[in-house]
Amino acid sequence: MGGSFLSLLLGDTVTRLVFFPTLAAVPLLFMGKAKPIAVKLYALAVSLVEIGLMLAWTAAHWDAAGLVVKDPVLPWLEMPSLSIVYEVGIDGISLPLVLLTGLLLPVVVLGSWKGVDRHWTGFTTALLLLTTGILGALVALDLLVFYVFWEVMLIPMYLIIGIWGGERRIYAAVKFFLFTMAGSLLMLIGILWLGWTYGRLTGLWSFRYQDLLRLDLPVEQQLWLFGAFALAFAIKVPMFPFHTWLPDAHVEAPTGGSVILAGILLKLGTYGFLRFALPLFPHAADRLAPWLLGLAVIGIVYGALVAWVQPDMKKLVAYSSIAHLGFVMLGILACDLIAWQGALIQMVNHGLSTGALFLLVGMLYDRRHTKKFEDFGGIAKVVPWFAFFLVFSTLASVGLPALNGFVGEFLILVGAWRAGLHLLVAISTFGVVLAAIYLLHLLQKTIWGPLTREENRGLRDLDVREVLALLPLCVFMLWIGVAPKTFLEPSRPALEAVLADYRARLAQPAPAAPGLGASRNPAEAGRSFLVDLDAPDRGVQP
Amino acid sequence: MNPLFAVPTADLASLAPELLLTAAATVLLLLEAFAPALRRAFVPAGLAATIGAAWLLTGSDSGPAFHGLVESSPLTRAFSLTVLLATALGLLAAPGYLRRARLLAGEYPALILWCAAGLLILIRSTELLTLFLALELFSVALYALAAFHRRSARSAEAGLKYFLMGAFVSSFLLYGVALLFGETGSTRLDGIAAALAAGNGSPGLLLLGSLLVATAFAFKLSLVPFHAWAPDVYQGAPSPFVAFLSVAPKVASAVVLVRLVTLFADSPIGGRWPDVIALLAVVSMLAGNLFALVQRDIKRMLAYSGVAHMGYLMIPLASPGNAAWRPVLVYLVAYALMNAGAFVVVSMLYPSSDDQHPIAGLSGWGYRFPALGICLTVCMVSLGGIPPTAGFIGKYLVFLHAIQHQQLYLALVGIAASLISVVVYLRVVYMLYMKPEIAAPQDVAPDFGGQVAAVVAAAGSLLLGLWPALLIDWAVASLPVG
Repeated sequence: MGGSFLSLLLGDTVTRLVFFPTLAAVPLLFMGKAKPIAVKLYALAVSLVEIGLMLAWTAAHWDAAGLVVKDPVLPWLEMPSLSIVYEVGIDGISLPLVLLTGLLLPVVVLGSWKGVDRHWTGFTTALLLLTTGILGALVALDLLVFYVFWEVMLIPMYLIIGIWGGERRIYAAVKFFLFTMAGSLLMLIGILWLGWTYGRLTGLWSFRYQDLLRLDLPVEQQLWLFGAFALAFAIKVPMFPFHTWLPDAHVEAPTGGSVILAGILLKLGTYGFLRFALPLFPHAADRLAPWLLGLAVIGIVYGALVAWVQPDMKKLVAYSSIAHLGFVMLGILACDLIAWQGALIQMVNHGLSTGALFLLVGMLYDRRHTKKFEDFGGIAKVVPWFAFFLVFSTLASVGLPALNGFVGEFLILVGAWRAGLHLLVAISTFGVVLAAIYLLHLLQKTIWGPLTREENRGLRDLDVREVLALLPLCVFMLWIGVAPKTFLEPSRPALEAVLADYRARLAQPAPAAPGLGASRNPAEAGRSFLVDLDAPDRGVQP
Repeated sequence: MNPLFAVPTADLASLAPELLLTAAATVLLLLEAFAPALRRAFVPAGLAATIGAAWLLTGSDSGPAFHGLVESSPLTRAFSLTVLLATALGLLAAPGYLRRARLLAGEYPALILWCAAGLLILIRSTELLTLFLALELFSVALYALAAFHRRSARSAEAGLKYFLMGAFVSSFLLYGVALLFGETGSTRLDGIAAALAAGNGSPGLLLLGSLLVATAFAFKLSLVPFHAWAPDVYQGAPSPFVAFLSVAPKVASAVVLVRLVTLFADSPIGGRWPDVIALLAVVSMLAGNLFALVQRDIKRMLAYSGVAHMGYLMIPLASPGNAAWRPVLVYLVAYALMNAGAFVVVSMLYPSSDDQHPIAGLSGWGYRFPALGICLTVCMVSLGGIPPTAGFIGKYLVFLHAIQHQQLYLALVGIAASLISVVVYLRVVYMLYMKPEIAAPQDVAPDFGGQVAAVVAAAGSLLLGLWPALLIDWAVASLPVG
């Protein structure tokens, strides 16, 4: 496998996108004595190369039909009657999140420039390894490979919170680690059980996504397995009763860590629901959906109410994340195409606007070493650029039409209404109002009104670096807001295919014993699902 | 010629690796007496002998030798190589520590080599008395090595404790052998199996005999409730030796235990064996990790974590059969790398004169010793079973085996135990990187050999985790199909 993996790594492939950050971290091992500025510039360069590679890959290989584009499949671990393959690919569901990861990487480096004051080699290494974990989990199409990448994310994030975090960083880091680990270990057992069941039915174990999709399981087994997967993902999202690690982790994490945590890590939970938990166990998902929907809507209202009363800006943004992700979960669980499109775009939106808000809070913290509302007030006059970006990001987060948040929330609400969730939509709309209240509260307490504190009079406005960090985020907030179709369209075919499959399976009653359904490979439904890079024609094959 | 003395060449050739190790040890001991000036070369010579033995091993033929007292097969060779890997790591780390402790002497590598020879014979023996002799050969060497730090009271205590309990357990083994022989008329494993299958002997005495024999190896594996020696011995004994002690004897003992459990479980007296093993596994995993949680001394913590790891290793044995070999072998290779690696780093980062090894003593040293810090972190992550490390591959195969054999509860207990263990191992990472440095290093000087051993162990753990095919293909090729 070694040779072919190397050729993947060097070729223009998904694999290269995933592992380039790790490769780029290797020279850092020998840069222990380098000046921080050199390491910072190196990190910036690497992140820019990474996003360049992503854009180049997308331009060259993106399938116009929006279905999955895979690297050639390689064996990863082979035993008699058991094979685990290294299978990665990008489709319309993962592409937006992959690109978001690429976009946030340089932003995180720029945003950490001052806030991270020591051990830059270590910070960059952790950040790059984390990126590999995130990208790997997003593109993995073998469940065991997915699990490996999923776990790879933990250690770097633990280090980022624990080393460069605030005062209670250890508590936050350990809590983050244990919560996530507890969920994911149960998921591992679920994955192993699935692979074994597939092996019992066919004689050959497999953990491939497209193989496991063929499993038709009795409802009771589905419920257990869905529970194991849903717990892992619900902790990551985080959904209402599992959310307690999030405020701690966000408040203690350094700015860059918060951005990447809110921007992408949380999305892996919602992505997991959309990619794995729902399609693999449709009957269980359908049966448990009312409960999960309830939790999602509780999350929306609860997150908003708690955010409202926070005395600390970072905590406010952290709790607002719970509310926003409640919306995403509402969209996913509604199982409606419009709602799914809204949920997917809302994942990106939340990454952009919350990422920007965390950056802005971090910039304020760099200057004044406090994040409390009471220490600010009326600073718009002193720092107009800061005020502009804060207002812009806040309005995007509130869901002002013509900015991105509106698109996502509107589509989710419309889709959920169409799915018949009228009461929940009504309550969630109330959540939008609450969001406006607490976010405008944030603006009012910090930048508007009279200047209350003398020490804020000398506050420095944003410098070029900080503007450069914020600008790309704001550009996309506006772009998605005014031209949502550009961003919605590439994902539609993939979402449509998954949804059609989900509904078709749900229409069949669950069997009494585990069985093997027809191939879920949409290629047989007239679409090219398995696209080989080397194949000359990678278009739609009827 | 008297047939008693006419040892066929083929038999001798089959023992070549053990003979080489024994001869090298003897020569080193003589050189210590007559040419002490060569001391610096003793450990490298021992290392060379280990590598030579490994080379001889890979080239040796399969089949029984000495009238079926020992056998050689791809399986025994695979486990023997794992033992020699641990031996090499332990030897590499030794000179720096011994020099600092002013203990550098020929006895150290000699005892380690004898011990390795005993372990290799243990892995290959198919007869209970040979088994006993091999056990005594390596155990006596271990007792002496545990007390090797002769100016340290703790080390003497470790040696004595280990010796007393070990002697006690040896008598258990001997009594068990006597009972089995009395009831079946054979000391050979195949003979016992035949007698058991024929229904000879009293079931009660057979059960007692088999339990006594198994107890001896459960003691060497430090399974709960036979684990009490481990923390004290680990704490007192010289650290590079613990890198060896915590791994190599366990590899060999695990092989014997798999053989015995498979033998008994397939027989008419075997009904309850899987339950006994499952109980040992559950108790060891949970108790080991819970005790590790409250330790402040890193060597004691690693001792209890070792107890837990042997508990994981027992999971495949709860449904014995040929299929159990693969997870056992893979787990042991991973364990050899990550556990020996951890002790190798510990041996360099704590003064050789200290009895205490507080985890807090590592505060902030991840920055002072970047390479060692990374190695220790990788070993800890691997011990915690977090991908992409060898430890995860081991745990994965073990859990897979449990699910495959409808023992989901063992996998679930294993997961609960893993979750506890993560806290244990992360505390080390936390000390290394998240605490300010409080203690300036004194009498701490990472030496070249130790660093090589640490890097080999850490890189191996990482490589086998990223590219498990290397390990799995080898295991599949070595083991009986299951």
